Amino acid sequence: MCNACGFPARPGVWTEAGAETAMDRTRARLMQGAVINRLLRPHGLVASDGGTVPGIQLATLTGATVIVDDLPALWQEVERMLGRPLDPLAG
Amino acid sequence: MRLAILGGYLGAGKTTWLRHRIHTGALAQAAILVNEAAEIPVDDALLRGPTLSLPGGCACCTGRAGLVAALRELADRRSRGQGPAHVVLETSGLADPGAIIAAVQADPVLVHHIRFDPVRVVVDALHGLAQLRAEPLARRQVGAADLLTVTKGDAVAPVDLARLVATLRRLSPGAAIEFARMGEAVPAPDLPAAAPEDLPRLRTEGPPPRPMRLVLPQGTDWTAFAVWLSALLHARGDDLLRVKGVVRTPAGRLLLQTVRRVVQQPEILPEDASARDGAVVFIGRGVGQAQLERSFDRFVLGRS
Repeated sequence: MCNACGFPARPGVWTEAGAETAMDRTRARLMQGAVINRLLRPHGLVASDGGTVPGIQLATLTGATVIVDDLPALWQEVERMLGRPLDPLAG
Repeated sequence: MRLAILGGYLGAGKTTWLRHRIHTGALAQAAILVNEAAEIPVDDALLRGPTLSLPGGCACCTGRAGLVAALRELADRRSRGQGPAHVVLETSGLADPGAIIAAVQADPVLVHHIRFDPVRVVVDALHGLAQLRAEPLARRQVGAADLLTVTKGDAVAPVDLARLVATLRRLSPGAAIEFARMGEAVPAPDLPAAAPEDLPRLRTEGPPPRPMRLVLPQGTDWTAFAVWLSALLHARGDDLLRVKGVVRTPAGRLLLQTVRRVVQQPEILPEDASARDGAVVFIGRGVGQAQLERSFDRFVLGRS
């Protein structure tokens, strides 16, 4: 773990299994960003995972931004912002 | 290191089953951990061999620290090339196997060392139905099983046994059902047709869980599916008791398994051309098949 920024905090989230080569990992990361935004859009939130900053940046449409470690942390933060968990089955 | 969890309600026949395996030498290379809810160990007197007893609390709650410490010790010895490759954990009759898997996966050391064998849950043919009627825990144990072993089948009438088996199939549709007598596997008896028992709703449990199936179209992106599933489990993990399936990924065939919110680190399986991949089973309550498919189409496939 990097002492300055604390990343990577964990051995990797289960969703990252299945991508072994660097190319697959990049593709997976882009796909992850796309699906996260598909899920967040109806709730007025945007995520970006540009690669310059470790972790995922989660922002409201007014610009308030939080950086989270990984996917589980993202859903937790989204739950905090919305006041309820984001349920993909709703709506 | 592989960890095989042997669960089941109090008195279901876990120790008898294990004892027979030890007797036949099937577990000669394995370390055996026996957890008991009571302070005074009894089972280890029945089990001879390289067993380690963990009395004083059920491993899924009060005894969790003891279990984690024992497994760490074994994992450490294994890393030095001295320990066993296979560990069998006989849980206490009050343990929820799902909670034990969660505890192992939450441990930063063990998560790197342990892979799970299919969870075996022993069900007593004499008392099984009564336990399932009254005890949420008994239902959770059956729900967490990959393999169900029905014991004492010779002690009840075939019609009662058939009803128990039908009830188990309904509670845990993904699990294989085997039969044992005095710990020895026996072929499935001929059973009359029977309807599953209509289990009463318990105060703490919702409606009975139902199986659902999602067939992933060819070329479905694993990451897209996984991200969607992670959001789904975060929101509905208490209702989705189990998700299981084999999914295609760039790295190969991946075995995906969850128990409530806990996802086992997916395992890459050997290639097998004959296998039918891409079907994922969901067992849960309060979630409908159509609702699941609609959400999958919208968020994973991007069709709105």
